[in-house]
Amino acid sequence: MIEVVDLVKDYRAGDGSVVRAVDGISLHVAAGETVGLLGANGAGKTTTLRVLATLLKPTSGTARVADYDVVADPVGVRRNLGYVSATTGVPDRLTPREIFTSFGRLHGLDRDATTVRVEHLLDALDLASCADRPAGRLSSGQRQRISLGRALVHDPPALVLDEPTNALDVLGARDLLAMVGQLRAEGHAILISTHRLHEIEHRCDRFVIVHMGRIVATGTRDELVADGAGLEDAFFVAVSRRAL
Amino acid sequence: MAEEGHHGSGWSRWQAAGWVARRELMEFVRDRRTLVITLLLPMISYPILALATTLGLRTGVMEAEARLAPTTVMVVVSGAEAQPFIERIEAMIAATDSSGRKDWPAETVFKDIPGTLAQEAIDSGAADLWLHAERGLIAGLDAEGTMSITVQASTVRPPTVAARRQFLALIDSFSEEVRRRRIKAAGLPATVLEPITLRVVGDQPHGELPVGEIMNTVAGGVLVLLAVLTMTGAFYPAIDAIAGEKERGTIETLLIAPCSAHEIVLGKFLAVFVITLATLAANVASIAATSAVSLKLLSAGGSPSLALATAGGITITLIVFIGLAAVGAATCLAVTTAAKSGKEAQNTLTPVILLVSALAGAALLPGMQSNRLLPAVPFVGHVLVSHAAFMAAEAEEATSIGWLLLLSLSGSVAVTWLLLRITAVMLTDEDILFRGQDSAASPLARPSPRALPTMVQGAIPPIMGLAALWYAQAFMPKELFVAIPVQQVATVLLPLAVLLWWQRVDLRQTFSLRWPGRGDAVSAGMGLAGGGLLGGGVFVIGAAALLTFRGDSLTPEAKALSARLVEMILGQSWWLSWLLIAVLPAVCEELLFRGWALAAFAGRRRTVGRVALAVLAQAFLFAVAHVLPERMPQTFVLGAVLGWVTITTGSLLPAIIGHLVHNSMPLLVLFASDCPPDMILEAGSGGLPGVDAASIPVWALLAAAASVVAGALLVQAAARVR
Repeated sequence: MIEVVDLVKDYRAGDGSVVRAVDGISLHVAAGETVGLLGANGAGKTTTLRVLATLLKPTSGTARVADYDVVADPVGVRRNLGYVSATTGVPDRLTPREIFTSFGRLHGLDRDATTVRVEHLLDALDLASCADRPAGRLSSGQRQRISLGRALVHDPPALVLDEPTNALDVLGARDLLAMVGQLRAEGHAILISTHRLHEIEHRCDRFVIVHMGRIVATGTRDELVADGAGLEDAFFVAVSRRAL
Repeated sequence: MAEEGHHGSGWSRWQAAGWVARRELMEFVRDRRTLVITLLLPMISYPILALATTLGLRTGVMEAEARLAPTTVMVVVSGAEAQPFIERIEAMIAATDSSGRKDWPAETVFKDIPGTLAQEAIDSGAADLWLHAERGLIAGLDAEGTMSITVQASTVRPPTVAARRQFLALIDSFSEEVRRRRIKAAGLPATVLEPITLRVVGDQPHGELPVGEIMNTVAGGVLVLLAVLTMTGAFYPAIDAIAGEKERGTIETLLIAPCSAHEIVLGKFLAVFVITLATLAANVASIAATSAVSLKLLSAGGSPSLALATAGGITITLIVFIGLAAVGAATCLAVTTAAKSGKEAQNTLTPVILLVSALAGAALLPGMQSNRLLPAVPFVGHVLVSHAAFMAAEAEEATSIGWLLLLSLSGSVAVTWLLLRITAVMLTDEDILFRGQDSAASPLARPSPRALPTMVQGAIPPIMGLAALWYAQAFMPKELFVAIPVQQVATVLLPLAVLLWWQRVDLRQTFSLRWPGRGDAVSAGMGLAGGGLLGGGVFVIGAAALLTFRGDSLTPEAKALSARLVEMILGQSWWLSWLLIAVLPAVCEELLFRGWALAAFAGRRRTVGRVALAVLAQAFLFAVAHVLPERMPQTFVLGAVLGWVTITTGSLLPAIIGHLVHNSMPLLVLFASDCPPDMILEAGSGGLPGVDAASIPVWALLAAAASVVAGALLVQAAARVR
């Protein structure tokens, strides 16, 4: 469902020099699977996910979502992808219902289908009680659930979540991750990045650890974690090995 | 990214844009602060502005009318025939229908007093004037001679202007009555005195205010104000629409919706356009209401009636301003798209609004109406056309205004489309979208070195140069051989040096400091020769085209410049003239426009569209920098051609050679022929008095066309990358 092959992304710094943010990353996420993309700040996680979301153009390599290539058919990718990031905001002066409705119509849903979908999402994301209040007056947790709802309004088969729990407290993060688990159960392919490893240690089917733009380890939790240790230890080991 | 549109069909694309616009408008109407500033401010600002001006005008009108209104004139008459004179003139007044006459006194009181008391009477204010009727006056009036009457005014308490003027008019009428009496006595018909009956149509009645001129000036000022305030209507919505979305982190949500950047930009433009139109409507409503109140206040003082524009004129004005609203909305969107935050957008947009104000105000400058292409130029053209329409009273003016309207609307559509294309390109530009926040360093700290200047930095030196040109007027030497270097330094080199100090760049990349072509001598030679041929050909063809279109309709400023250039050439050695007219501008201006500005606008990722826009944008600035409207079309074409040459050859040198040859042409022709020097020079400025395009030999035009074709082929052959 989500497939990245030999992805390279270069940025040109202000002084004209080239900075390689992603250096040959390959990964895939099947339907009904959740893959955790782990890495420190600046490791290349966000760049990879932005390429998948068609916000950045790859320097080389390919990235595909539901068999649509991000370069050849970005609109096809967007129809099949839901994207939430830590920096994604919600319009303060619109209500959750209005936000969902406008994005539903933007995704080509007709009026009736949009209404049904919006009501479903408001219930599923526990936003019904504040459906008609401006988003600017809602809590961080509610706003992040609005972001998730906005990404799900067209019922995409693939989800890309870039540090979705960053602005949330423990309870908010737990609720959101519970919803992610539910989406996986419904058959969505989910690629989630975070540096709060403990949150997703037991929620992902596989992990991809990146460091300085390259993959340094990949596998299931059991494959990565030694007996008695945790995912965080495995992460340190992988990153340190690379650093050496 | 490749953008294939929304759901395929054109209608779906409009639907997507419509949803973006709807979302934008929903947000806007809930932002009360912006709503108040955008829509309610005009309703308050016009009355405040009008109150001061109306009261001042009303006072002025009332004072003027008081000065001109019929008054009572007291005249003391002395002398032996005072009484008979008084009887004769009073009989004339009684026999004449004076109702409605504003040139006569409302009442004239004559009093026969001794001459010894008359001086005291006028000095004390008891009388306005003193008339002395000598013996024999009446008999003289009835005879055929000319009688001398002395009227004395007090030097201590002089009579009012109205009293003096109205008394003299009365004496004129008395004199007329005497003439008629003499004609009758001579047995001649009364028509002897009336060989011509003159009827003047459309003139201001004697003694009234020049209402037409006042309205023309007021209307021009109001239209400039309306242009600026309409533009400000787009200010906050445009900032909110893109820079605000970036700041709030919501722009990404739109960019990952299945819409193209063009659909998003179109939707946002529609929303900002609607709000700008609402601002325009609020302004127009406020102007109409304020004008009605102002006119009522003025007429309450008994002022003359102030004629308003015709319904047709008002309609054309509104249509033109709808075009202005579109260009204004697109301009604001384009400028704010380059900003990361609302604050950054404000900082960028504020000078743009000032620039727009200057452009709009420039429409009121003398000579602007004569330029046939200016109506298509945003803001200056909008005010020009609407002013012409607003003041048009005669039906026959409608045809020419219809053409101006078409030109204005075409210009508005083209510029709006271009700006929206630029906005769509910038919206998905990774550098703009994901670069870091503004630097938190000291305000005096220079930004990090870059390979090329930013787009904004590219536009700053030409704008600084224009401002410098204005200020330099105050101390610019009169002699051109000093003024030209001063002007080049002040308006080109100094702004460029400031920006170069501020933003350290890769000089080789920015100014294309390399040999043209692919590194071999042959392609370098072809590039240089091609640039030169293009420069020369463009000069001749441009001169012929401008002569055809403009003929001898040069502005006084252009004629004065031409005369000064001729004076300098005749007074200096040829090499100094060549240095000043050709070499210096070629080097300085190419460094600024085809070097700094073009590199900044074209950027590092040079798509065909972006390069084309960059070439046109720097050519526009190059044309504007030449100030005189006559020179703008030719300088725009020259700028665009040299921009293409620089991009194609990868070097600034062919453009410098091209500019050098272009500017050398007048001197070359001057020294090689017996053509009068002023004709040659004015050809370069866009017109020759009494000369048309036929004056340029056909062989010269053919040679110029061949030169352009050969130049273009050579430049293409010297392309840096095939």
